[in-house]
Amino acid sequence: MHDALVHLEAVAKSYRLGRVLVRAVDGVTLAIPRGEFMALAGPSGSGKTTLLNLIGNIDKPDSGRLVFDAVDVTKVPLHKLAPLRRESLGFVFQTFNLIPVLTAWENVEYPLLLRGMPKRERHERVALWLEQTGIAAQKKQRPDQLSGGQRQRVAIARAMAGDPKLVIADEPTANLDSETAGRVLDLLAEINQNTGTTFVFSTHDLALIGRARTVVRIRDGRIDDVRSAAAA
Amino acid sequence: MLTRIAFRNIFRNRRRSAITLAVIVFGAVGLILFGGYKATTFNGLRESTIRRSGHLQLFGAGHSDIASQKPLEHGIESVETLRREVERDPRVRTTAAQITLMGLVSNGDKSETFLATAVEPEKDRAMQATRLESGSDLQSSDQDAVLLGRGLAASMNVKPGDYLTLMTTTSAGSLNAIDVRIAGTFATGVRELDDRAVRMTLPAAQELLQSTKVEKLLVFLHETSRTEEVRSALAGPNVEIRSWSELASFYHQVVLLYNGIFGFLGLLVCGVVVFSVANTIMMSILERTREVGTLVAIGTSRMRVWRMFFLEGLLTGVIGGVLGVVAGALIALLINRSNVMLPPPPGFTVGYPLHILLESRALVLVFAISLTTATASAILPALRASRMRIVDALGHI
Amino acid sequence: MKRLIVLLLFAFTLRGEDAASILARSDAYRNPLDSFAIDVELTSYDGKETEHSTFRVHGKGSDRSVVEFLAPAAEKGKFLLMLRDAMWIYLPSASRPIRISPLQRLMGQASNGDVARTNFTTDYTASGMREEADLWVLDLIARDPSIAYKKVQLRVDRKTHEPRSADFYVASGKLLKRAHYREYTVMNGRRVVSFVEIEDLVRPGRRTTMRYTNLVARQHPDSMFTREALARW
Repeated sequence: MHDALVHLEAVAKSYRLGRVLVRAVDGVTLAIPRGEFMALAGPSGSGKTTLLNLIGNIDKPDSGRLVFDAVDVTKVPLHKLAPLRRESLGFVFQTFNLIPVLTAWENVEYPLLLRGMPKRERHERVALWLEQTGIAAQKKQRPDQLSGGQRQRVAIARAMAGDPKLVIADEPTANLDSETAGRVLDLLAEINQNTGTTFVFSTHDLALIGRARTVVRIRDGRIDDVRSAAAA
Repeated sequence: MLTRIAFRNIFRNRRRSAITLAVIVFGAVGLILFGGYKATTFNGLRESTIRRSGHLQLFGAGHSDIASQKPLEHGIESVETLRREVERDPRVRTTAAQITLMGLVSNGDKSETFLATAVEPEKDRAMQATRLESGSDLQSSDQDAVLLGRGLAASMNVKPGDYLTLMTTTSAGSLNAIDVRIAGTFATGVRELDDRAVRMTLPAAQELLQSTKVEKLLVFLHETSRTEEVRSALAGPNVEIRSWSELASFYHQVVLLYNGIFGFLGLLVCGVVVFSVANTIMMSILERTREVGTLVAIGTSRMRVWRMFFLEGLLTGVIGGVLGVVAGALIALLINRSNVMLPPPPGFTVGYPLHILLESRALVLVFAISLTTATASAILPALRASRMRIVDALGHI
Repeated sequence: MKRLIVLLLFAFTLRGEDAASILARSDAYRNPLDSFAIDVELTSYDGKETEHSTFRVHGKGSDRSVVEFLAPAAEKGKFLLMLRDAMWIYLPSASRPIRISPLQRLMGQASNGDVARTNFTTDYTASGMREEADLWVLDLIARDPSIAYKKVQLRVDRKTHEPRSADFYVASGKLLKRAHYREYTVMNGRRVVSFVEIEDLVRPGRRTTMRYTNLVARQHPDSMFTREALARW
């Protein structure tokens, strides 16, 4: 248990949709080991995105316990978790979510600036990750000048530049064509292999599900099934 | 980085930013033009008031003692000594002695009350306080020539060259009367004054009042701003001093009125700017909801988010402020050069050219106001942005 | 020679004394009693008649008097207090007497009051005297700068010393008023001036006449001639 990066215990989260109270996550217990390449799979409305948000510390559970890297963060308010997110987390979004007024380079550099990293180190890391994600040539371009695939690569570089412990990705390939999606997938798997960074996705992309080491099936806010690729 | 983001975001939506800046510029231009016009008016009114009354008026001690009924009871004994002493001060430009008195004037048929000011003619001429309408001006050698206000001349039915009798009570309390020749008539611009006014020479008044004193010594300075310090310098147990400000009630009323009006207009202008900038920033934030969500997700603190939008407001204010001040100054200079004529203000008979006074202090103030209003408008919207819920923001279109 | 000079000097000094005593006797026709009351009928003319009023004057000494307005009806009830250097008017409609400024004494009947009540003996000294037909002409100079008319030229009958006319001059030398003492009557057992005409020489054509009747001696306490007492009259 202690080598699990993230540990959820009977975690629940509800939100109000108009007059109705929706139990998006309804008592989930899950341990995510380090180095994992995990997919949360399920139909729309299954609660996988909410679960992912809880794991990523951008939403707070209503009940249960959440431990991240051996720290109980259940009761810590979100705005106080900003340093945690800065240091230990990386985010990749379905809609890329790059800052439109910044260049590719500046987008990747941004979280490092938040951390107050000295210039030389920043420069090295940004250059490295732009290289790694294959978009070094586009470093001076703004997001509106890049293709979907290129943007996602920038997002991945941004997520990785700070050496996070965990990267969460919500439908990272949903807005990409199959060929590009495949290449992005390869990139993610490669990073996971080379750096040992833990990846958790929420997805209904079968290809991604196929590449995951562990697949957690979610339905109606509960874990339906956990399958390890090794076991398959 | 935050500054960079804020700055670039200003140019992100060209049209909207242009409109916001235009509002700030209009506001600044408005303030500069209104303020400059007001300043010109105050200056003009103040200087013309001072021209008539002097910067300071020196009276004999006890002058304001209302129990005295006798003319020149508290007059100045040796005005030449006092004058020499006062004119020694390099801040003093010149002095003029005066006496005011009341009495009856008669043309042999009817009598009217008169209000006379006895002056030193060359000094009076320099003050340009009287506008001669007919005849010729007083000379300092005149013992028996007077000028009559237009209304009084009409009611006494006299023209230059005719004679009238002036009667009054002397300083001691006895009666006196002298025959005077009408040298000319004048207009003050105020009808009620013109119906009673007489201008005579000091020797004539002193003869009439049987006294060697004068009532007051008007002191004219080189710079109006020195009034209070010269006043302190001249203060003493033997004199009573009034400054122009104490005697210029009309001026003060105008100042109050104009300040009220322009202050209100200024507030309106600021209000418009605040709403406009706030609106722009709120729209900007709304459009960037997802972006804000992302920033917070990847670890930007609330404070930093707030600062980012605050900076946007600040920079808008700086750019708008600079543009506004420059535009305002240019327009003012253009107006001044074009010599547009305004109609005469209440109580006056001639119009005057529109002039906008530009003072560097005022321009700095307008810049500061532009900056402050733009920045202030950003504060609350920025606060709202910083408190956005991540998940909601991310899910926003 | 010496004798002639002494005689001449004597004659002059005699003259000087004469001037003072002549003045005193002339005054006696105008202000015979120290403490008195007298009725006055005043008429003003500007070509034709413009004003007609009557009052009763209560006087004490040369410098205190109260004028009680009797007619016309509009003026009835008003009182005027005349002291040496101040004048007060009391109107029945006002709660307190109003001081008349020296300037206001230039106007209207107050100016004639100044002329009528002048006591030459106390207010003036004779500076010169000469003959003119059957009259003495005395040049009088005011003793005090606060006295209304600085100079007066008085003409009196050489034999009886009845005043015939007086010219009133101001400090500048201008002649403002001329009083004619036209009629005499016996009142209160003595011969006094009963009709005076005052000409306004600044406004020719204007004159005021005053007819005096019913002169009686009356004891007035000093306290009656104060502002506060005015309301009690």
